Amino acid sequence: MITSVTTRRVFHAVYALLGLFLASLLSGLSGLSGLSGVVSGQAPGSGGSVTVLSRDGRRPLPAVEVQGHSMVGLDDLANLFQLTIREDAAPRAVTVTYKDRTIVLTPDQALASMSGRLVSLPAPLTRQGRRWLVPVEFAGVALPLIYDTKLDYRPDSRLLIVGDMRVPHVVALYDDTGNILRVTLGITPKAMTSIVQDQNRLLVRIDADALDPALLPPPQQNFLTGIRATEPNTIQMDLGSRFASYRSSTPISTGAAAQLTIDLLPAAGESTSAGPAPAPPEPNASNLPVFGGARSSIRTIVLDPGHGGDDSGVKGTAGILEKDVALAVARRAKSVIEGRLGIRVLLTRDEDTKPDADTRAAVANNNKADLFISLHANGSPRESAQGALIYYLNLDHSGEEARRQSQADREVLSIYGGGSREFALLDWELAQAAHVQESAAFAGLIEQKMRAMANVSAVSVQKAPMRGLTAANMPAVLIEMGYLSNPAEEKTLSSAEFQSGVAQAIAEAVIAFRDYLEQAPR
Amino acid sequence: MTKRRDILVYAVLAGVLVAGLIVLFFVGPRWLSTPGPVQPGAAAGAAEARKIRARLFFVGPDGERLSPVEQEVPLGDGPAEQARRIVEAELSAPPTTYASPIPAGTKLKTIFLTPKGEAYLDLSPEVRTNHPGGTTNEVLTVYALVNALTWNLPAITGVQILVDGKEVDTLAGHLDLRRPLEQDLTYANGQSSPQ
Repeated sequence: MITSVTTRRVFHAVYALLGLFLASLLSGLSGLSGLSGVVSGQAPGSGGSVTVLSRDGRRPLPAVEVQGHSMVGLDDLANLFQLTIREDAAPRAVTVTYKDRTIVLTPDQALASMSGRLVSLPAPLTRQGRRWLVPVEFAGVALPLIYDTKLDYRPDSRLLIVGDMRVPHVVALYDDTGNILRVTLGITPKAMTSIVQDQNRLLVRIDADALDPALLPPPQQNFLTGIRATEPNTIQMDLGSRFASYRSSTPISTGAAAQLTIDLLPAAGESTSAGPAPAPPEPNASNLPVFGGARSSIRTIVLDPGHGGDDSGVKGTAGILEKDVALAVARRAKSVIEGRLGIRVLLTRDEDTKPDADTRAAVANNNKADLFISLHANGSPRESAQGALIYYLNLDHSGEEARRQSQADREVLSIYGGGSREFALLDWELAQAAHVQESAAFAGLIEQKMRAMANVSAVSVQKAPMRGLTAANMPAVLIEMGYLSNPAEEKTLSSAEFQSGVAQAIAEAVIAFRDYLEQAPR
Repeated sequence: MTKRRDILVYAVLAGVLVAGLIVLFFVGPRWLSTPGPVQPGAAAGAAEARKIRARLFFVGPDGERLSPVEQEVPLGDGPAEQARRIVEAELSAPPTTYASPIPAGTKLKTIFLTPKGEAYLDLSPEVRTNHPGGTTNEVLTVYALVNALTWNLPAITGVQILVDGKEVDTLAGHLDLRRPLEQDLTYANGQSSPQ
């Protein structure tokens, strides 16, 4: 130990002497960055800036791009957040202090250390001239550990939000049917909205401190020439020449988000032929699959009893199998819906077999079903878990892209008997993307009816990336009717009374959904 | 003769000393700046003994949601190794008041990261064969792994689960595993995204 310390002292003395001789040499050896402590790699490029949003307003935080990462200066962060920056020579580290709390950063390490806790960063601390740079994410994942005000970094919009501000993320989706342009604003977290028309602009005011917008340009300029966010909390829609009026829906809540639908309409007397590529009336048109066209009332429903064959699904402690419960409820629901509503009901399986997910969706798609309902029973590691869950598809980024693409990719094809028809080209794997909004609405109706008809106290709607729903080209939900892992619910799930109650609840939800479709703006 | 030999020996020793000092000037700082136990940047050998605090996700008392649990996890040498350490901790037994969302016998075969920030997690077949089924169970299994990786390693933006080296549709018939899944804290108690 003594030898080690002595040796270190000798080495440090030698470094000091040699450093005097070699300082000028090192300054010329910029390529040997490991010697100088400068981790540059490449010349920093322009990284734009990050907008810091607080109660005091907006201010830019300059950023530069280094090796593909957006970096900000520690000195700039220090000025913004009253931080103290200190550089330690040995071991080489930079400390960032706020009040009595400190973060340690080390060059070459994409980590930040705070009281023994390590936080990963996308890039290491980097030196640029006399400045130290950190990836901008540092402000969102590391700085909050020592700062006494909430910090929220939104990478997509490059917003750094300081304090408890209401800054919902707002996305715009479009459905262009030719004669109407439907604009759906997704607002997360949900907030109250109001719409006013101001000459050739439609202004959607959102009850928030500021907005975090992700607004794609409209697909065509006839109804809408542009859309943008204006400070502090307004979405401005610039109206096109075909716009005459609008109608809007009551915002639909889907979990933490809200969806506001606004239909931009042409003048009442305007011929529908003014729209691009109208579908000519053909004698056999009703037999053709219609994608994105006018919706008729519900004529066909596909019920999908989950699992089957060698896949039993969840097995209850008393031996009740999920596949049997699902099939029993599907048969009861088919009987109730066909008997009461006169709607054709198909089952993806009517015996103990196991169709794969795509085969199940194909039954619905090939029969032009208007609803797809998958029936399951649930399982949890805890016996105490109870209640029903209604799932609809959760779209991730690629799903949102597919939804947008499905509205953009349209093709006019010749059809049998002459004439042509416009088709939306859908990816089979993501056909559900175009129906998520209606699926969420149907899930909400199932939830209501399950409470009322099936005497289920705990019912909730959730969204998840469900494999069995992705390819369904119609509103689709998956119902987990209860927990077979809960002995009491296992008994309930196997009872005829409960199964009939669920069948009645589904039938009632179908009726309510039919009303919803007829009243919803097209 | 002896004097001349001594001079020669001293000259050689001096030359070796100077050469050694120059080499040490370039290499030495890395030895000398080896940080203490809480400082990042340890050499690989020391990294084995060092820990980070990672946020893991186990099944909470309601059996429907994941609960975050802070645990010490060995420091990994690089992102892929750190990801492996985190997944191994997630596959291990939870603290006594929690239940594991991972089917018994599940092992991590390998993990690799892409430059796009996607992690591919190859698990042993037990993750399917021993899975008890049900959407809730499947959600808990999948998002315990996805959230543990994306929470602790923000550079990982998506996680795809493979089984025995192959892509799979689902683990138990519900969640779509054909592409990387993003972090989703909907199924975790009291969580908000760190980003």
